[in-house]
Amino acid sequence: MLRQPLTRALTLSSPARAAPLAARTFAGPPPPPEKFEVFIDDKPVMVVPGTTILQAAAQVGVEIPRFCYHERLAVAGNCRMCLVEVEKSPKPAAACAMPVMKGMRVKTNSDLTKKAREGVMEFLLVNHPLDCPICDQGGECDLQDQSMAFGSDRSRFTDIHFSGKRAVEDKDVGPLIKTIMTRCIHCTRCIRFASEVAGVDDFGTTGRGTDMQVGTYVEKMFLSELSGNIIDLCPVGALTSKPYSFAARPWETRRIDSVDVLDPLGSNIVVATRTNEVLRILPRTNEEINEEWLSDKSRFACDGLKRQRLVTPMMKDSSGNLAPVDWEDAMVAAARALKDCPPNKLLAVAGDLADAESLVALKDLVNRLGSENTCTEQFFPLEGAGIDFRSSYLFNTKIANIEEADLILLIGTNVRFEAPLLNARIRKAYVHKETDIAYIGPKVDLTYDYMHVGDSASVVKDLATGSSSHEVLKRLESARHPVVILGADQLKTPEGAALLAYTQELALRLQDKLEDKNWKVLNVLQRTASQTAALDIGYQPGVGKALQDGPQVVYLLGADSGVISRDQLPKDAVVIYQGHHGDVGAGMADIVLPGAAYTEKRATYVNAEGRAQQTLVAVSPPGRAREDWKIIRALSEVVGERLPYDSLDEVRDRLSQVSPALVSYGDVQDNNYFAQARALAQSLQKPVSGKLDVQLKQLEDYFMTDTISRASPTMAKCVQAVLKQKQSQY
Amino acid sequence: MSLAKIFSVSSRVRASGASSLVVRHAQYSTPAQEGKTEKVYPPTSPGYKYVNAEDPNMTMKALTDRAAQTLFWTELARGFAVTLAHIFKEPATINYPFEKGPLSPRFRGEHALRRYPSGEERCIACKLCEAICPAQAITIEAEERKDGSRRTTRYDIDMTKCIYCGFCQEACPVDAIVEGPNFEFSTETHEELLYNKEKLLSNGDKWESEIASNIRADHLYR
Amino acid sequence: MSLAKYLALDKVATFFNIIRQNGGIRASLFKLYRQDELKDGVLVGEDKYGNKYFENPRYFYGRNRWVEYSPDYHMNYDGSQVSAEWFGWLHYKTDLPPQQDPGRPKYPWMAEFTENLSGTTGQYTPYSTTRPKVEAWEPKAKA
Repeated sequence: MLRQPLTRALTLSSPARAAPLAARTFAGPPPPPEKFEVFIDDKPVMVVPGTTILQAAAQVGVEIPRFCYHERLAVAGNCRMCLVEVEKSPKPAAACAMPVMKGMRVKTNSDLTKKAREGVMEFLLVNHPLDCPICDQGGECDLQDQSMAFGSDRSRFTDIHFSGKRAVEDKDVGPLIKTIMTRCIHCTRCIRFASEVAGVDDFGTTGRGTDMQVGTYVEKMFLSELSGNIIDLCPVGALTSKPYSFAARPWETRRIDSVDVLDPLGSNIVVATRTNEVLRILPRTNEEINEEWLSDKSRFACDGLKRQRLVTPMMKDSSGNLAPVDWEDAMVAAARALKDCPPNKLLAVAGDLADAESLVALKDLVNRLGSENTCTEQFFPLEGAGIDFRSSYLFNTKIANIEEADLILLIGTNVRFEAPLLNARIRKAYVHKETDIAYIGPKVDLTYDYMHVGDSASVVKDLATGSSSHEVLKRLESARHPVVILGADQLKTPEGAALLAYTQELALRLQDKLEDKNWKVLNVLQRTASQTAALDIGYQPGVGKALQDGPQVVYLLGADSGVISRDQLPKDAVVIYQGHHGDVGAGMADIVLPGAAYTEKRATYVNAEGRAQQTLVAVSPPGRAREDWKIIRALSEVVGERLPYDSLDEVRDRLSQVSPALVSYGDVQDNNYFAQARALAQSLQKPVSGKLDVQLKQLEDYFMTDTISRASPTMAKCVQAVLKQKQSQY
Repeated sequence: MSLAKIFSVSSRVRASGASSLVVRHAQYSTPAQEGKTEKVYPPTSPGYKYVNAEDPNMTMKALTDRAAQTLFWTELARGFAVTLAHIFKEPATINYPFEKGPLSPRFRGEHALRRYPSGEERCIACKLCEAICPAQAITIEAEERKDGSRRTTRYDIDMTKCIYCGFCQEACPVDAIVEGPNFEFSTETHEELLYNKEKLLSNGDKWESEIASNIRADHLYR
Repeated sequence: MSLAKYLALDKVATFFNIIRQNGGIRASLFKLYRQDELKDGVLVGEDKYGNKYFENPRYFYGRNRWVEYSPDYHMNYDGSQVSAEWFGWLHYKTDLPPQQDPGRPKYPWMAEFTENLSGTTGQYTPYSTTRPKVEAWEPKAKA
């Protein structure tokens, strides 16, 4: 297992990257190292010891070309593109690996530097195929750009007449990544990413010189939940996206900043579209959430947005089959059902992907009709403080602060598949900051070593009461920045309330002892993108109680996870489904109202931290589908209970009335009602004995978890690939 | 220096033929004759042709001649004579659908997508033509074909947007999109000019003989 | 100048030659009606659609090559009926008629030449060559 020596960890936390961390008040103040002056192209710059020439140059805005260097990966220094002339040095030096020394004078524009770059570029191009027209990297290729900027303007290449160029066999690394290994320039970024960030030591090089190859040694696919990132990392077209292959050029796509909703983190994404079609999804740098990575489901499930879509309103005809109808007919039928329903028999259920606007509109409508039954599919115990305090159901530590943690306790959550990028953060802390991780739950592969404390809920109780004999208790108590993460799935069980109470007890006991008073220990990791907003708006978690009343009209707002089935409802119940994919919900519906997916609407989502973010309209909804809150608003008019908002801004005004946090985009507010929640939970600390189980254990469980990814052919291929890999001898 | 010499060398003056210029020239070149401008109007020197309207000759004879010509319609007769003469001359126009005017091998007419001699389509969906098209007349969509090669699924040219600049064929790395020699593709409706991939390929199949011949004729200069 | 030429007798000879070459007075009158013009020239070749190509350098450049559309077309002749092989010769791009040009490719996939079919039943109508972008959900029908 890769773990950098401490010195390396220090080198990596260069001033440029450490700055945002240092800005946080709770970060332990490291002794400020003495800065000294160096000169880049005669421009003086003050740097701390350990800064490389390349970083120092970046500080004064001098860009040095590079292929192998990447600021989030270890320094390799093998592409030689960053060679620069250093005064009083006989040979040019590799800027990415060379630490600056006091008074050093670097020339990034001298004849020697230029000649070195041209030489390196010439060597790279000698063995690089000239297939740019059919290469998917064309237009966003570092090699193309840098050979234009720094390469020689003429070729000396005549070799082709007798020996030809180097050619390398392509590798099969799975259904997501297409390899054209002849294009590889051996920068080893993919290898370093796989072993450092993804934690999958599958990649490596074999051979030397012309025979050097990047590959997986044996015939093995690169299967990781973060594998797509090596496509972005590859500076050439050796690793490209398979689902996106040949689809478009970077210059013809429109890029719309948006937010991912397929996991609870709300990673920032860029949706690339052309001719009203989502072509691919790329990560957008947000140091607070996803850095510059993106998980595979978020990245590749976008082809699910084109399959199994609801494009027209539908209603059951006389023979009981759903048939397309006009909006008007569907609206009138739905309104009649809502009107005829006794108030206490009306139930609204919000699904995984519902946005805050439609959630608040639906709740307002249902309340106006006299019902209080608005639920989410995910359960959360209502005993004690329940959802009254935001801090009880949020990821309070915040994702970026994970890097500061020195001990992380995971309770019943396979972070790796429930929130892959959170897991990447934990691994980053583990690799670079010597953070230790303890884990309670069934044994799973988290890509790093952890102390396995057990898999029973009673372990949590013992830790909370301080009666545990496990060494982790002592470690937790002595930790400066401990983090406790509880998986929201564990709260579904009858013992959930007690488990939450014990977790709160444990976390708060640790938090009270900390020197750093701003540090939050308690975290509940939600499973879905809609849950936080729904709880903020006042939805009741879980449908259990409402179902017992025998609802006559059930309004499903994208509820597809199967917690409600036709058998649980009275025979004559009317099910109205509003959503974007035909799945469980639409399959049991009497009336289907086609809504918009997250790429098709401007909508608010609140991530697990409680950070409100908004998606933007990348494409228009297909067919006759409409934005969700507008459907509900229109329906309210037909019902005769007109909702008082006509535009998105007015809906958001309503949202801010419910909770200002829902519209303060990009911000997270600190929550400080831990003690009250803990006090209210005291009475719930009953004995627990159940085993903790996680839903997503293996990689094949990860890919298809919601309506969009279930509709995605690429995700289905991934599952097949993982299962096939298991048959393989490697 | 004599005035005639000045006129003969100063072609610019002759071409413009403005008398004021002539006068200024004379002044400029003969400072000795200060204050005394020698105005020659119209100039009579050899090699000089005065092109502006001149005053008519107003002698009695000239006046009578002009009056007689008007009176006896001689202009009319002369005009008819010219017309009559042209009936017997070879016509200067060409008889279009049977005779056609000369074209260059570089002529940029109707677009076509070409194939390799094996019959495989050339276009590899690199989209350079789409990128360079100044009228944005080209629309390409591509995907991986069954055999793994890069091919277009859509190659549309809006011929009514196209400005026939030929940038697409210049940009094409595989000589797939070409502007063929054909210019006789006018249509009765607008929609017939929205060419799709099949139409362009069939154009290529139809015109390959001529397209290949044109490319060969021009290969030395490419 | 010879006396015959002075009396334009050669023009008379040419006139009769043209009549003869165009197949007598009746045929010549019909051709005159169809083509608005009678010319004499050397038959350079004929394409597979029956169009005949003539040349006579006596006429000035631009009129010295012409096509006589196949009688099948009757009065429905059209500029776009000149086949691709002869297009270059007729447009003075090359002096080599196609049957003498070894560089002209003959691939099996090359298609039959068609005239401009606009306004006929054979006209081109645009259609999409791609799959629909969104696949709609099909509800399961009850058995």
